[in-house]
Amino acid sequence: MASSQAAPPQDAALRERFERDVLPLLSSLYGAALRLTRNPQDADDLVQETYLRAYRGFGGFQEGTNLRAWMYRILTNTFINSYRKKQREPVTVQDGEVEDWYLYDKLGESGVEASAETEVLEKIPDEDVQRALEDLPENFRMAVLLADVEGFSYKEIAEILGIPIGTVMSRLHRGRKALQKALWETVRERGLVTD
Amino acid sequence: MSPIECEHALRQIELYLDGELVGFERVEVERHLGECTPCSGHSEFQRRLKEMLRAKCGCDEVPAELMERIRSMVEASDPHRPLS
Repeated sequence: MASSQAAPPQDAALRERFERDVLPLLSSLYGAALRLTRNPQDADDLVQETYLRAYRGFGGFQEGTNLRAWMYRILTNTFINSYRKKQREPVTVQDGEVEDWYLYDKLGESGVEASAETEVLEKIPDEDVQRALEDLPENFRMAVLLADVEGFSYKEIAEILGIPIGTVMSRLHRGRKALQKALWETVRERGLVTD
Repeated sequence: MSPIECEHALRQIELYLDGELVGFERVEVERHLGECTPCSGHSEFQRRLKEMLRAKCGCDEVPAELMERIRSMVEASDPHRPLS
C-alpha cells in the first residue's frame, strides 16, 4: 500500500489499540533500554526500533496474551542483535568468592545496627545503584533487570530471553550476588559506613 | 529452632521474595519467618534491597522528543509491512 493512500479501517483500529496499550509501556521500556545500552543515545535508538518492530508485528499479536512480556522480548532481542556488538562488556565477575547475604553480612560486620541496614541502602545515590546494575555482565544484568526492576516472573523471563527457568534462577542468583558486592564497594567509597 | 530449618529457609528466601514459592513450601517459609528473628531480618533486608533497586533504577524520565518520534512513527507506518 502506498503511504499516500488512506489507511483501511482495520489499520485505524490496530493503530488505536497500539496507542492505547503499547505507548503507556514506553517509560519502563526506556528505563530498561538505558540499563542495557548504558547511554541515552543508544537507549533512544533501541526503544524507537523496538516500537517500530512491535508496530509492524502488532497485527500478529494475540490480544489478551502477555503484552508486556512480548514488548520486552522485542526489546531484548533487538538489543542483542543490534547493539550488543557495540557494547563494552564488563570484566567477567569472579563471583565464586562472594557469599550469599554478602551485603547484609558486610553491613553487620561494619557495626551497622540491624534496624539501620535498610537506611544505608536508601542513602546510596540513584546513579550509583544504576551504575552497579549497568556494570553487571550482560546475562546477569538482563535477569536482574527483568526480575527486580520490571517484576517479571521466572517463567516470563525464561520466555523473554529464550532460556530455561533453571538458567534464569542461576543468572539471577549470581547477578544479585555480584550486585551486592558492587553496592558494598559503593557504600564504602561513599563513606556510608565506618570501617 | 533447629539450624537445619534456618538453613533451609535462608535457601528459599530468594524464591519466596520473587513470588515463586507456592502451596506448602510457601506456608512453611512464612511460618519459619514468623518465628525466627534472624531469618526474618535476612528476608526483610533482601525485600528492601529489591524495592530499592526497583525505585532507583526504574525512575528515568522519557525524553519528550522520543515520545513524539514514536507517535509520529505510528502515524506514518504501515503496520502490515514487516521489517526487512
